[in-house]
Amino acid sequence: MQQPDTASRRSPLAWLDSTFQYWALAPAVLLFAVLTLYPVANLLRMSVSTIDFAKGEFVWTFAGAKNLLTLADDWLFRIALRNTLSFVAAAVVLEMVLGFLLALVASQVTAGSGVYRTILVIPILVPAVAIGCMWKLMYNYEFGIINQILTALRLPGQAWLADVNMAMPAVILVDVWHWVPFVFLILLAGLESLPVEVLEAASVDGANGWQRLWHVIMPLVWPTFSVALMFRTIFAFKVFDEVFLLTSGGPGTSTEVVSLYIYQVFFSENRMGYGALLSIVTIAIISLFVIVYRRTGRSEV
Amino acid sequence: MLSRQRLLTALCLLAIVVMLVPACGGTPTPAPTATTAPKPAEPTKAPVAPTAVPTQAPLPTLPPTQAPSKVLGPPTKDVFLDVGKQVPFTFLINSSPWYAGFEAVVKLYEKQTGNTVNLEVSPYAGMLEKARNSVRGKESPFDIVNLDTQNTVEFYSGGFLMPIKEIDPNFKLDPAVSTYDDCLYWNEKTQWRDKDGILYGLPVQGNLNVYYYRADLFEKAGLKVPETWDEMVAAAEKLGKSPDIYGMVVRGEKGNGIRFDFMSYMLGVGGSIEKDAAHGDFTVTINSPQVKKALDFYVSLAKKYGPPNSGAISQNDMVQLMSTGKAVQLNMVTAAWPNMDDPSKSQVVGKVNVSVIPRPADGVFATPIGNWVAGIPKNVPPERQKAALAFMKWYLTYEAQYRFVEAGGIPPVRTDVYDSDLAQKPANRWMAAYKKSLPYAKQVLGYKEGAQVEAILGLRLNQALIGELSTGKALNLAAEEIYKVFKDNGRKTDMLPKLPE
Repeated sequence: MQQPDTASRRSPLAWLDSTFQYWALAPAVLLFAVLTLYPVANLLRMSVSTIDFAKGEFVWTFAGAKNLLTLADDWLFRIALRNTLSFVAAAVVLEMVLGFLLALVASQVTAGSGVYRTILVIPILVPAVAIGCMWKLMYNYEFGIINQILTALRLPGQAWLADVNMAMPAVILVDVWHWVPFVFLILLAGLESLPVEVLEAASVDGANGWQRLWHVIMPLVWPTFSVALMFRTIFAFKVFDEVFLLTSGGPGTSTEVVSLYIYQVFFSENRMGYGALLSIVTIAIISLFVIVYRRTGRSEV
Repeated sequence: MLSRQRLLTALCLLAIVVMLVPACGGTPTPAPTATTAPKPAEPTKAPVAPTAVPTQAPLPTLPPTQAPSKVLGPPTKDVFLDVGKQVPFTFLINSSPWYAGFEAVVKLYEKQTGNTVNLEVSPYAGMLEKARNSVRGKESPFDIVNLDTQNTVEFYSGGFLMPIKEIDPNFKLDPAVSTYDDCLYWNEKTQWRDKDGILYGLPVQGNLNVYYYRADLFEKAGLKVPETWDEMVAAAEKLGKSPDIYGMVVRGEKGNGIRFDFMSYMLGVGGSIEKDAAHGDFTVTINSPQVKKALDFYVSLAKKYGPPNSGAISQNDMVQLMSTGKAVQLNMVTAAWPNMDDPSKSQVVGKVNVSVIPRPADGVFATPIGNWVAGIPKNVPPERQKAALAFMKWYLTYEAQYRFVEAGGIPPVRTDVYDSDLAQKPANRWMAAYKKSLPYAKQVLGYKEGAQVEAILGLRLNQALIGELSTGKALNLAAEEIYKVFKDNGRKTDMLPKLPE
């Protein structure tokens, strides 16, 4: 009696079984391709084109390296990039330090923790436009509350948003106020998830507060810290709302940042091809940050 | 001694206060004189040197205000214009200070005709993108898009709008309707907005810059209303001595703000950005000696008589300064007028008046136009195009424009409304100045590179104002950058010799 061909009967099923993980991922990958890869590919196409309109239709013209040559000559983009990097460095460092200190303090205060933790996150709940309007009023030279307090203390009022040396620090202050609660939340979660036994063991071994912080807490919380740092760096690099609402990039070029410049080129000046190239350059820079952070974020305790 | 727990609790409470204080808004109310930030002490300086007394032909003077030969009265018709039954349509409109007047006449239209108008109200920021997205799509959700005049060239040249006469071949623009330096037309051959072109737009509102001044202070000091820069400076000197009021305020905010504000100074000296763009000559003339003279004057006004934050003053700040009594004089859009006599917003009700923007002693009167134009997109079904045009025909009648002003709409787009009894009301005392300013009003940047040129000027002028660059260097850099823009776009262009820096 001939044995049934079980291998061939099982092979389609076996094949399906062995490739199931790919089929399961396929919808997510497809969605990713449509929502991410396709727009980026389109952006790449735009970056080597000039796009005009005639008779109500788009007119795409291949521009080759013309947009790249424009970028090479674009002194304002270089200033915007420099300002953005300065903004990122200052704002992120302040936010991480303040957020971490706040989280450290909050993790050790038990009375009323629910209430104060809720109140402390209010700044990230306020819409960015409202924050911009609110701070613009506060910075107002004539009627702003900051200058009114200074005047009451017999100090001169400042032109916070009109002085080239003060405008960027003023914007950074707003960003710090807005995003410290975000860092606080992430780091507080990280601190509260630390194993208590390790901290107790350190205390038993005679470590003082500083030693516990530096040699035990910091290494343990570093993965959480680096996630918060990565998020904040990416978001800070894309800063737009505060600058647009407070200073529009002025006075002069003192608060010109990359996102605002791209908005100006792409939307105000309607130079879509060049705007697309600027967007790609920005994506590349941020991607570099992410790669660097992911490598430095890997540490073993 | 405080326990560790208590110390940490105190720190937490401090952090809460720091987070919450700004979140409470700190909304200021106009502070009484004693607590506002004091004007910084200025060393005694000579006033701005008066311009040379000319010896050539008689200088332009403003015509005296004359009563019209016939004062037109309020509407008497029940229905201003019979437009017939129309399908509902949607109007994309901006929520500007004059919106209340516009909304009122729309409701009147609906009541009179039984037709429906859906208003899509948008803040200024975002209007352009909404309009762009609508005309570039398969079918526009908006049947009329309201366009800032500086954006009309993009829509005309891009072929997005329906020529008015293709919707109604018998349409004729009433001669009383202002065309605002012919910005309603587009000439495809010359790539310019001129009357030989096709009519694509219809005016919705006709903003011009006018000169606002504290009439009560002028009268008290025995000063006449300035017609020249010298008289303006004399007023600033005399009336701006108090630390609580600025002799002159400029709109120095980077970008459109300073660019628009500076135009009356530039045009007043006979200056221009390009030599003759209307006829294809894009030779860059922004760095001419005349324009430098205008910019030197503008910067000196801000430095000597303005607030320390002149480089960040926006239109809203100008309105605030004038309506709270902190400015003697400034140039501002006519549409800001309602803020001056509104008791809920103004501390100087009845004390402000407007006039034509003063000119240089050896120059001309000039003011930039910042009007709004309605366009009907091509990608809209014909019946909605007809409905949209029917509304605009009704809107452009004398009666509708009369009601527009009555309801707070400023300024109307028909010149005969300025000859009506509305002009005799104290609340409409701005009308005489507006009517006088119309002949001197000019459109600028009427070409597709307009937005790029504005961005360049908006930056360089601001840098000159805040002292980052000298006026000569700022204008030279602006000229180089504008020249490059024109050259890259294949324009016939050249440059003037550099100014001394």
